[in-house]
Amino acid sequence: MVRHFLADNSLGQLLDWLSRFGALHGPIRTAEGVEVFGPVQAEDDLLLTCRRTLIPPKKYLLPPRQVILNYTAADGYTLPDETAPQVILFGVHPCDLQGIAYLDRVFLGDRPDRLYRRHRDAITLVGLSCEPDEFCFCTSHENIPRNADLFLQHVEHGFLVSTGTSKGEGMIAGLEPLLSDLNIAPQPLSENRMMTRLREVAKNGETFPDSPLWEHFATRCLSCGACSVCCPTCYCFDVLENGALDGTTAERFREWDNCLFRAHGEVAGGTNFRPDRRERFHYRYLHKYLGFGALAGEPACVGCGRCRVVCPVGIDLTELFTEGGDARP
Amino acid sequence: MTRPALAIAGLTACFGCQLTFLNCEAELPTLAECFDFTYFPMGNSRHDIGGEFSAALVEGAVSTPDDLETLIRLRSRSRTLIAFGTCARWGGVAAMNNHLSRDAMAESVYGKEAVLTGSFNPGPLDRFVTVDFSITGCPPEKNELLATLAALLHGTLPVFPQYPVCIECRNRECLCLLMERGEPCLGPITQAGCNARCPAVSIKCEGCRGPVTEANVASELEMLQEKGISREELIRRMRRFYPEWDYGQRA
Ligand code: SF4
Ligand code: SF4
Ligand code: SF4
Ligand code: SF4
Ligand code: SF4
Repeated sequence: MVRHFLADNSLGQLLDWLSRFGALHGPIRTAEGVEVFGPVQAEDDLLLTCRRTLIPPKKYLLPPRQVILNYTAADGYTLPDETAPQVILFGVHPCDLQGIAYLDRVFLGDRPDRLYRRHRDAITLVGLSCEPDEFCFCTSHENIPRNADLFLQHVEHGFLVSTGTSKGEGMIAGLEPLLSDLNIAPQPLSENRMMTRLREVAKNGETFPDSPLWEHFATRCLSCGACSVCCPTCYCFDVLENGALDGTTAERFREWDNCLFRAHGEVAGGTNFRPDRRERFHYRYLHKYLGFGALAGEPACVGCGRCRVVCPVGIDLTELFTEGGDARP
Repeated sequence: MTRPALAIAGLTACFGCQLTFLNCEAELPTLAECFDFTYFPMGNSRHDIGGEFSAALVEGAVSTPDDLETLIRLRSRSRTLIAFGTCARWGGVAAMNNHLSRDAMAESVYGKEAVLTGSFNPGPLDRFVTVDFSITGCPPEKNELLATLAALLHGTLPVFPQYPVCIECRNRECLCLLMERGEPCLGPITQAGCNARCPAVSIKCEGCRGPVTEANVASELEMLQEKGISREELIRRMRRFYPEWDYGQRA
């Protein structure tokens, strides 16, 4: 099969070319040593072999805190009118591309979220293949996710470049001078055991109601929120409104929420749909692995491994499947 | 339009919370137009505690008969009483040694001739009167103070985050000092709202904003003890801003 090949030493030119279309962002290391998506100042800043950033690229589509409406007495509630800056998001791994595909279905499905749309339209996704480690279990690292405008697959001495979008086809045409043809056999697809098990669990709607692990999770969880902040498919937000000092105008904003927080299930009058932590874990489980609402039956989890890495007390919901739910005291 | 009358008062405290108010330099002219600062001994030469107040912001712990008298007076004249800062809300630094003998402490500072002046163990406002709202923090955050004052003008009160500092710390993609360096960070059990001020500059959270509602105190202690930090050391750290943690609390 003949594929487009980009040699290692042409990467800089590719980045220069991409920067013409918007601000180049990608995985970089902060001064404190955290791997994050951020603005790329120089080619050397880019982490081409980074495992995973702390927060997935969802922060570009659904910022942690975002003004969603402005209120004035004269105009009532209006959408903020800022435009989203054009961003080239470079180095997005297949799990995160899948995460974005999931968010697209949630936010652009039956009732499109106009602010999400604004940010989504301003982003060009440049995917990058990666190597799995002991935390992640996505199966897509050999498949080319369809939502990547460009996808770069590491091969010896360079990358294979492909696209899944019409925008990308135009880009590849423009990149022609940097690309050469390479004849290479397609890679065999490999399945990950954990993901296979997860799909099976989702298909059968297994919930492990008698597992002692639930109590174990509930006892230890600090409700620190890291597992949802860092999850590429957690999109829950809370909506709040603050009046301004002029006494008449106001800002309504949304900020990331987590279903492991007590307030997530709380309604007026103090009633709570999920009063204890154990029930909240059932809920998280339900969403992450069995899917709910319009996406019932489809696991939200894309296997990026972040929740397993960031939990300060080592909570890992996938233990439910691997240990069958009865391995712990 | 008559401007709402405000009282801003300090009990046993360092006056840092009231300073937060004075530090809102850009907003002070607007605030002076919006409110009548009827009673504000630290910032105003007019000390009129006689009238009625739309709201009273009270800084500090209650630890003397005078504190108590001021507090009760403000309570009975104010529609909304706001505990302003960690001392007023939780007891704060003044209360960190409430478990020790007052006589012994007085002696260690003033010597054998020490005379206790009728003061008592510092406590938060809600131990003595009904408190309608709190702005926590040592010192409180400007934006929470301004949001509260703005809300008063709108006839309401703001909703502040009920999650721990970790959320703000993770949102800012700071290095987790607890996980990456094994430091006894109190972020997981501390009320957010400071935008992870300390971890953002690589300093562990000392818990200055007091406990978050659903703090899993027992699990935090177990986790930090597993990292090799002694229970005594942890309790000493935790007491610094709030002396009455329930060390067995899980939710
Ligand atoms: S549930 Fe965990 S592993 Fe799955 S997508 Fe979310 S963070 Fe990644
Ligand atoms: S319900 Fe829970 S698991 Fe689902 S998106 Fe919200 S926080 Fe994430
Ligand atoms: S990361 Fe762990 S401790 Fe924090 S909320 Fe999630 S499960 Fe609980
Ligand atoms: S550094 Fe502290 S506040 Fe930040 S995430 Fe870690 S434990 Fe939480
Ligand atoms: S990080 Fe902790 S100690 Fe620092 S200001 Fe916030 S609550 Fe206080």
